[in-house]
Amino acid sequence: MEHDNVYALMMDALDGELADYGRNELESHLRACPACMQEWGALQVVHNLFVQTPALSPAADFAQRTLARLPNQKQHVWTIAAIYISLLLTGTLPMLLGVWVVSTLGPALRQPALVRGVTQSLEKVLQVAGTVLSAIFSGVGEFVVQQPAVIGWLLVMVGVVSLWGGVFQHVLAPQLQRQSQTM
Amino acid sequence: MDQEQVWLEEARQGDKAAFGFLIEAYQTPVYNLAYRMLNNSGEAEEAAQEAFIRAYTRLQTYNPDHKFSTWMLSITSNYCIDLIRKRRALLLSIDEPLPAHPALMSEKAKGPEGQMVLSQQQEMVQSLLQELPDEYRETVVLRYWYELSYEEIAEMMDTTVSAIKSRLFRARKRLAETGIARGMVPELQEAAV
Repeated sequence: MEHDNVYALMMDALDGELADYGRNELESHLRACPACMQEWGALQVVHNLFVQTPALSPAADFAQRTLARLPNQKQHVWTIAAIYISLLLTGTLPMLLGVWVVSTLGPALRQPALVRGVTQSLEKVLQVAGTVLSAIFSGVGEFVVQQPAVIGWLLVMVGVVSLWGGVFQHVLAPQLQRQSQTM
Repeated sequence: MDQEQVWLEEARQGDKAAFGFLIEAYQTPVYNLAYRMLNNSGEAEEAAQEAFIRAYTRLQTYNPDHKFSTWMLSITSNYCIDLIRKRRALLLSIDEPLPAHPALMSEKAKGPEGQMVLSQQQEMVQSLLQELPDEYRETVVLRYWYELSYEEIAEMMDTTVSAIKSRLFRARKRLAETGIARGMVPELQEAAV
């Protein structure tokens, strides 16, 4: 008999589903085959060990602690509803507002004089912004050229702060955490 | 309607106390499955708690046509498999000595000798289970400690009956080989099936 067939019979025997014919077949094979006999012995030992080993229970207060961790379902539902409504409102209200603005101010916005005035105002605002930005950049450039030592000190300070941050994060913080855990 | 169905219905309405009765009724099977799978009492307790919390938050999806115990064990086993995968991803060493189960140290065992025998038995079972791949271990645990049929295990693990039979076949074969390698096999005896 093929060894896999023998194994199938052994499985049925362990499950208590082996018919008389199969039982005789398995017993006669086991008598003739020491290797299968050894495997059958091991299977029975492991099977009996598992069957006889009781289930393990958790600590006595497990149920209370689990109960304390359960989320509040009703509150959860209200929270989700509130988030949903607020999202709905934040999306819908601006849309309604936009439609109202376009419908009421639309005819006035189409006046040529108004369009021309708005364009001119925008141009002037852009010109002022350009002038301010160019003044700032030229001022910073002159400061860098005239006061290199100040810039150097600033760079040194940035370096010291970064280094301290790294040391604290990698060396001191884990030590403090370990100390707080042992206390 | 039996008591379990009443508790389930009340828990569905958000009654935590009713769910507390279900926790008390199923804490041992759920914890035992988690412990057999994870082989660590702390992780097993955390997994068992998480399984109950998941069940509570998903009670609306529970189909009363199936047994609550099967559904609960299915949640636990899926959570444990996820945990084992994450554990592997973290590359934690499995050689670290794991803490013994607190029950093995408790006064429940009958005297020091009984406690020692039980402790050794549990350790042997756990070490054998650890020899198996996750899916085989899950099948063996469900078959031996919960006496589930092949059909029930297949339904829980979302696979076929033949796949479960094959897993159990291979798992037992591997366990037998480990048993022989560890000298657990008795002397050659008269063939008695």
